[in-house]
Amino acid sequence: MNGGLKSDLQIEGAKFPSAMAPALHARINRFQLIFLIIGLIALGFTVLGAFVERRQFFFSYLFGCLFWLGLSLGCFLVTMIHELTGGRWGYPTRRFLEAGFMALPLMLLLFIPVFFGLRQLYPWARPEDLASDEILQKLRGYQNSGAYIARAVICLGIWSWMAWSLRRWSLQQDATTDAAPTRKARTLSGPGIVIYGLLGTVAYVDWIMSLEKHWYSTMFAVIVIIGQILVAYAFTVIWLTLLRNEEPISAVVSKSQYHQLGNLMLAFVLFWTYVSFGQLLIIYSGDEPHELSWYLHRIAGDWKWVIAALGLFHFFLPFYLLLFRAVKKHVVPVTILAAILFVVHIIEIYWQVMPAFHQGGLAVSWLDFTAPIGIGGLWLAFFLSRLKAAPLLPQHDPGLQFAFRYGH
Amino acid sequence: MIVEPRTAPPEFPSEAPTAEEEKTLYGLMAEFEEHDQLLEAARRAYAAGYRRMDAFSPFPIEELAEALGRDYTPVPLITLLGGMAGGLGGYFMEWYSMARLYPFNIGGRPHNSWPNFIPITFELTILIASLSAFVAVLVLNRLPRLNHPVFNVPEFRRASIDRFFLCIEMQDPKFDREDTWRFLESLEPISVAEVWDE
Repeated sequence: MNGGLKSDLQIEGAKFPSAMAPALHARINRFQLIFLIIGLIALGFTVLGAFVERRQFFFSYLFGCLFWLGLSLGCFLVTMIHELTGGRWGYPTRRFLEAGFMALPLMLLLFIPVFFGLRQLYPWARPEDLASDEILQKLRGYQNSGAYIARAVICLGIWSWMAWSLRRWSLQQDATTDAAPTRKARTLSGPGIVIYGLLGTVAYVDWIMSLEKHWYSTMFAVIVIIGQILVAYAFTVIWLTLLRNEEPISAVVSKSQYHQLGNLMLAFVLFWTYVSFGQLLIIYSGDEPHELSWYLHRIAGDWKWVIAALGLFHFFLPFYLLLFRAVKKHVVPVTILAAILFVVHIIEIYWQVMPAFHQGGLAVSWLDFTAPIGIGGLWLAFFLSRLKAAPLLPQHDPGLQFAFRYGH
Repeated sequence: MIVEPRTAPPEFPSEAPTAEEEKTLYGLMAEFEEHDQLLEAARRAYAAGYRRMDAFSPFPIEELAEALGRDYTPVPLITLLGGMAGGLGGYFMEWYSMARLYPFNIGGRPHNSWPNFIPITFELTILIASLSAFVAVLVLNRLPRLNHPVFNVPEFRRASIDRFFLCIEMQDPKFDREDTWRFLESLEPISVAEVWDE
C-alpha cells in the first residue's frame, strides 16, 4: 500500500532464509570496501592534523569517537530494551542493532588515541591549570590520567563483553528451537540496562563533563544516554528502509514497524528535550558561577545558532511531524526524519564537546569533518562485516511468531 | 422492542414491520468469531462501496478504523488547537503577571525570564490538549448516550466479551435490505441480524 509494504502479516511457521541473497551480499561487500577506503583516507588526513593542530586534533577526534561510540552503545541499549519489552519493531531491526553494537570492540581500540591527548583535552590533566586551582587539586585522587584510562578500559571492556554475549546467544538461537539462549539474553538485559546506566555515568563524567573545569550536572549522563538511544532508533529506521525490498526483510516489514519506530523516536525526542531543558532550567535557576560555565561557553558567539538548530531539528520539527500518524506510517517521511535526527545528533555531540576548546564561539576546523568521517568509515565497514555474518532475521526467537501473528 | 435475530434471509416485504409498531430499521449486523474475520469483513464492505457502517469488538483492533475508511477525524486538529491555546495562555499568564502586573527582580534575571515559564507553559499545553481531545471524543461520538439500536440485538452482549460485529446502517446510500443481507452472509459470519430502532 505504501511503498509496496504489506499492511498485515500472515507468517505461519515461517522459516526465513538463513543465507543472504548473493546480489545483496556482493553489494554489501562493495560498500564495506568503499567505507573502509573512505575511513582510512579520512583518518590519514586526521593523523596529519595531529602534527599541525595538536589540540584541535584531539578535540575533533574525541568528538568523532564519542558520536560513533554513542551509536554502538545506543544499539546495545535498544537491543536490551527489546529483549525485555518485545514488540514487532525489534525483529526486523535486530540484526542492524547487533551489528551496530558489535563495533564496540573496534571503538575500544579507536578510543586509545584519546589517552595520549588527556593534557590537551582536560583541565585536570594540565599542570598549569592544576597548580592554580585548589578544587582540581582536591579532585586529583579521582581525576587523574591513570584513573581515567583505567575507568575507560573497564567501562568499554564490560560493555564489549556484554554486547558480545548478547550476540553469541542471538546466533545460538538461530541454530536451535530451544529457547534457552533467548532466556539467557533476557536475564542479562535487565541488569545490563542498570549496569550501563551506572557505568555510563562514570564514563560521561570523565569523557565529556570534565572538559569543563568544576562543572557538574547529575542530569548530564541521562542526556547523553537518551541521545544515544534516539540515534540508534534513527539508525535502524534508515537501515530498515535501505533493505526493505531485500529478502527476507521484505517478507516481514510493514507499516506497523514504521509506526512503532516512529512512536519510539517521538518518545525519545521528547525525553531528550525534557532532560536537556531540565538541566538548563535547574542551572539557570541556581545561577551558580561554576555551573553556568558550561552554558556560557555554549552560547558564546555563533554557538547560539547551533542551539537554534538543535532546538529546531532535534526537537521541534521531529516532534511536530512525528505526532502525525500519516508521517509515521509512510516510509519516506519517517526515514527523512530519521536521517535528520541522525545528522543533528552529530551536531549535538559537537556542541557538547567542542565549546570546551572554542570557548569564544563556533570555529569549525577541517579536522571536525575528517575525524568523524574517518572513524565513521571504519565503523560502517565493521558494521557491514557483522551484518553479513549472520542471517538478516533472527531465526527462532520465541517472541517472533507470536509477535507477527498477534502483535500490534 | 426487541426483534428476534435470524440466520435465514427474511421474506420481503411481508416481514417488514407495520407502521403501528413505530419501529424503523437501523441496519443489518453480522457477527464474527475472530478479529481477523471482522477486519476482512470491514475491508470487503468498504470495497463493496458501503460507507455508513460501524464495527464493534471487545478490544481495540489497530487497523480497523482504516479498514472502515475512517481516515479523517477532527480530533487531532481540536487537540492541536487546544494545546496551542493552553501553551499561549499559560505563557501569557506568566508573562503578564511577572513582567507587567507585578515586575519583581528575582536574582537579577529579566522580568520576562522565559526558561522559568516553560514548565507551566508545557503543562498547560498538555492539560488543555488532552482535555480538548477527551471532550472532542465524547462530543463527536455523541456521548454520553445511554442506548443505541445495536443493543436491541441480544447477541450483541458478547461484543464486550468475545464476539465481533459489523453493522451496516440503513442510512448508507448503497443499503438495500436484501442485497446487503446477502452481502453480509457472503462474509461467512456466525449470524446476521436486523437491527431495529425503537
